[in-house]
Amino acid sequence: MIAPDTAVLGPFIEFGFMRSALFGCVALSLSAAPVGVFLMLRRMSLMGDAMAHAILPGAAIGYLLFGLSLAAMTVGGIIAGLAVAIGSGLVARNTLIREDTSLAAFYLLSLSLGVLIVSVRGNSVDLLHVLFGTVLALDTAALALLWGITGVTVATLLVIRRPLILDCLDPDFLRQVSGLGALAHYGFLALLVINLVAGFHALGTLMAVGIMVLPAAAARFWVRRVGPLIGAATTIALLASVAGLLVSYHADWPTSPVIVLGLGLVYLLSMVFAPRGVLRQRSVRRSHLRA
Amino acid sequence: MNLHRRLHTLAAIASLGALAFSPPGHAQITPPVKAVASFSILGDLVRQVGGERVEVDTLVGPGADAHVFQPAPSHARKVGQAQVVFANGLGFEGWMQRLLETAGFKGKPVVVSEGIKPLRAEGDKHHHSGKNPARSEHHHGDTDPHAWQAVPNVITYIGNISKGLCAADAAGCDLYRKNAAAYTTQLQALDAEIKAAWAVVPPAQRKLITSHDAFGYYAKAYGVMFLAAQGVSTDSEASAKGVAQLVRQIKKEQIKALFVESVADPRLIEQIGRETGIKPAGALYSDALTDASGPASTYLAMMRANTQAMTRAVQGK
Amino acid sequence: MPDLRHSTPQTAAASPVCLVVRNLTLGYDGHPAVHHLDLRIAPGSLVAVVGPNGAGKSTLFKGLCGELAPLSGSISGLEAVRPAWLPQTSTLDPGFPVTVWEMVAMGLWQQVGALGRFTAEHRRRCDAALAAVGLSGFALRGLDTLSGGQLQRARFARLLLQDAPVVLLDEPFAAIDQRTTEDLLALLHRWQAAGRTVIAVLHDLQQVRAHFPLTLVLAREPIAWGPTSEVLTEANWSRALAMREPFDERAGVCEQAPSAASAVPGRAISDLEAV
Repeated sequence: MIAPDTAVLGPFIEFGFMRSALFGCVALSLSAAPVGVFLMLRRMSLMGDAMAHAILPGAAIGYLLFGLSLAAMTVGGIIAGLAVAIGSGLVARNTLIREDTSLAAFYLLSLSLGVLIVSVRGNSVDLLHVLFGTVLALDTAALALLWGITGVTVATLLVIRRPLILDCLDPDFLRQVSGLGALAHYGFLALLVINLVAGFHALGTLMAVGIMVLPAAAARFWVRRVGPLIGAATTIALLASVAGLLVSYHADWPTSPVIVLGLGLVYLLSMVFAPRGVLRQRSVRRSHLRA
Repeated sequence: MNLHRRLHTLAAIASLGALAFSPPGHAQITPPVKAVASFSILGDLVRQVGGERVEVDTLVGPGADAHVFQPAPSHARKVGQAQVVFANGLGFEGWMQRLLETAGFKGKPVVVSEGIKPLRAEGDKHHHSGKNPARSEHHHGDTDPHAWQAVPNVITYIGNISKGLCAADAAGCDLYRKNAAAYTTQLQALDAEIKAAWAVVPPAQRKLITSHDAFGYYAKAYGVMFLAAQGVSTDSEASAKGVAQLVRQIKKEQIKALFVESVADPRLIEQIGRETGIKPAGALYSDALTDASGPASTYLAMMRANTQAMTRAVQGK
Repeated sequence: MPDLRHSTPQTAAASPVCLVVRNLTLGYDGHPAVHHLDLRIAPGSLVAVVGPNGAGKSTLFKGLCGELAPLSGSISGLEAVRPAWLPQTSTLDPGFPVTVWEMVAMGLWQQVGALGRFTAEHRRRCDAALAAVGLSGFALRGLDTLSGGQLQRARFARLLLQDAPVVLLDEPFAAIDQRTTEDLLALLHRWQAAGRTVIAVLHDLQQVRAHFPLTLVLAREPIAWGPTSEVLTEANWSRALAMREPFDERAGVCEQAPSAASAVPGRAISDLEAV
């Protein structure tokens, strides 16, 4: 029988790629989970998947100009993602189109443009697949990118945290007292894009979006206020990543789906058993307070 | 005089008879015969047999990936105008059936792998992560389709191609048979060459890592062991255990040769290389030829290039 | 009751400026919603704005806040100060996970901004504001646990913290219970006593008569302006109700000369002082 500490620590001691994977997961948890909390508070959780398609023309143009260069395609993807995010945000804030329709319109435009570019070029190499990596293949450059993104995200969130919260809480009031609302909104969109694109590049689309949306959703059943939500979401993301890596290692299952399934499991269990989950909310209290 | 006339008449009746019994339209084909091959390697083989009498169009071109091929209208047009279509079979072209229907191709494609003893897919871990399920038309099932990696199989391919061309264009049959025979001689020489190249490598050293499960037939034919991380292929998800096992095996058996397939994701291979201290040894060509300027522009060139790269890598050169 | 008059150096008493509106026209798509309004409001006034639906009352507030640019005319007296505005429809999301204290404290934005820390003084002022609206002890409650009346009190507390010399309230007592309304009206009086200008859009004419010394009767064009007892008459009210509510799609360009709207009963505009 394997001793418990060997089962948990062994893989990381023995293999460099496991250590890199862990390091990358930590970076992504610290960065994507807080972004996911705000995404949830702003009711934009479905945006992640739309963005995955929206970045295609950027990656395609990067490929056309520079060949199969990951740097070029990642930069292209980020530019396309930012254009879609900010463009749809501008339209939503200044015309009668709302956020969800605006985003849908932009990402469909973007996606069809990307498909056209790729098809016309004639090469059936699956661009999107080449753009998406796996957590087991993180090299030094990828880790540097992930930790860089984490640094930028944490710093930016610290600065725009209050306007962002107020923009959700009472946007008219924010507009009365400060012009920062729009800036905070676009800054947040930019954070979303770079976290997603970097996540896709390093970890694949499933995990990048999953680690953003699921921890926040699970955390909702544990705590109420924004600060604790961020803390809880980050913790859940960290624990699930580590557990997922270990399960993938011992059970020989593909890593990304295991991590995301783990997160999903935490979400479901939280929904039922957590302090603000279904069971506790419905249970009859045996006594109540005097006043 | 009577005998001559009788022979003439007999010959005339015989030709008429031949005309009557051959499939309508096929006996009257004027060269060049329009043929379509599903992918570049097959295209090269058909050209070798058909010579100048056959005009070959390839669907999945050089450098492209047949696993994620999406037929476009131009492909349907080519197929519609073709007189004969060649496919590998063994589950390689999941998209072929639909394309033929769309293009309105009458008749069946010539499946060149008929008669070959198929191998099971190695490890059976050719998953598709569903990232883009609509684009993954590649269904191995349990069979490994890469039969062309063993030269004796290609000799069978040539035979089937020759038969297929004969059926479509009886008038050129002699030419096809002649070309096939000549090419088969070259293939036999190639086969001997490959065997000789491996003969100098001790069996214990005949181990390679590559990222795609494409070399099962080569392994069996020439006594070489290919290892691939489970799921480390064109479009499936890797598992930590699979990678770990591979790393351990490389270290234990001191494998020196690490190859990155030309159409696969190289990052995982590079990671394994970093972990074990091996430098990736370039590309092996498995599913497609290169274009005319590359080192694997024909089947013969491809096999020679692969073999040379492999033998050098395992000997640590 | 805490005395708010001397709480900060930035009360209206320190900067008494008249709010002057000259020949103001505000509207949408060229159609006027407020038509040729002239007004002069002395600091420390408690003003009610009444009128039928669509009379332009909310639009007037938008103009005073700078949300809507005038089609013609001008507003002066608000250059150095930003009015605190309580709109009729609130975009406040009561389900958002913040405490009452956190929501009310946003009123201190001008001092704290996006990055500033809340000092002990700020905390004291927050607690004072909550007490002033009768929400002491609610500081740590979640916003989603408040009733409609309590939420409105919280919004008033936030308004208080904004400490603006001019306060605009658009239907502040709609759908609020009697007790809360009375408490908040008392708060308005205290604000006025502290020297702030308070302008409120109201529909309850009894309330107006009982609590507001000055009234503007608005039906797109100003019908009457002055002391409530003189201005809130049957005649004026009927004239107000006669206003056509929808915009006239076939209207031509307006050629009306400025200051033609001074033909109102009651005192002349320029003679008005705080009551």
